Amino acid sequence: MKVTIKEWNAVAAWRWDMPDDDVCGICRNPYDSTCSKCKYPGDDCPLLLGECNHSFHMHCIFSWLRQESAQEKCPMCRQPFKSKNQEAAAPEAGTQPVQPDTIAP
Amino acid sequence: MFASKRLAKELQKLHDKLPPGITLVKADDLQEWIMDIRVVDNNPIYVGEVYRLKFTFSQSYPIEAPEVVFVRDETHPIPWHPHIYSNGIICLDLLDRQGWSPVHNVESVCVSLQSMLTSNTKKERPEGDDNFVRNNRLRPRDINFIFHDNQV
Repeated sequence: MKVTIKEWNAVAAWRWDMPDDDVCGICRNPYDSTCSKCKYPGDDCPLLLGECNHSFHMHCIFSWLRQESAQEKCPMCRQPFKSKNQEAAAPEAGTQPVQPDTIAP
Repeated sequence: MFASKRLAKELQKLHDKLPPGITLVKADDLQEWIMDIRVVDNNPIYVGEVYRLKFTFSQSYPIEAPEVVFVRDETHPIPWHPHIYSNGIICLDLLDRQGWSPVHNVESVCVSLQSMLTSNTKKERPEGDDNFVRNNRLRPRDINFIFHDNQV
């Protein structure tokens, strides 16, 4: 018997490579979900890992680092927060962070 | 906004389970909550008393610290402590701009205040309490506290 496949749909799931039940310490939403302001998880609302190995939604940690009182420290361990990821650097005080490419709605 | 989602999440957790000696009294909206705390060990300064806390949240919570003060009524006194003024204003680095971190939450603030009382041995008010209570017109968040005492 020969079977001819006329049509097929591929389905894929994704998740961040993070522990299952972990939440962002700032917004308390799961890493796989978004920060409190975004609608779509994933590349639109990425995570940022610090050199201290604490991670947050990028938008959450940027909101914090923009505060003068944050003194550019990690909210968890109070060490200077530096991104481990080369592409996304911490914002300069008083400037808007560089937004990743977003998909137009 | 930031605050409402995070507060809704916290509220859900507070309804679910709270550490001993901490109770949620009122959280009708996502702007102002009332919590009660009592000291769970037998510190004679605080035995048998329950203290009432008022949390006020700004739109930027938890990026900005909540305003937290003790409130007095017929059944809730202001606890004695060398860092708590008799009008309920609390001098604690955690609640100040310099000491706050957005990973703190209502529960962790309550626990910190509980432990601040538990470890205290002085039935005292801060230096200059009379003067401060009479003259201070600033909101707690606008006061520049100087943190000089790391003992309590």
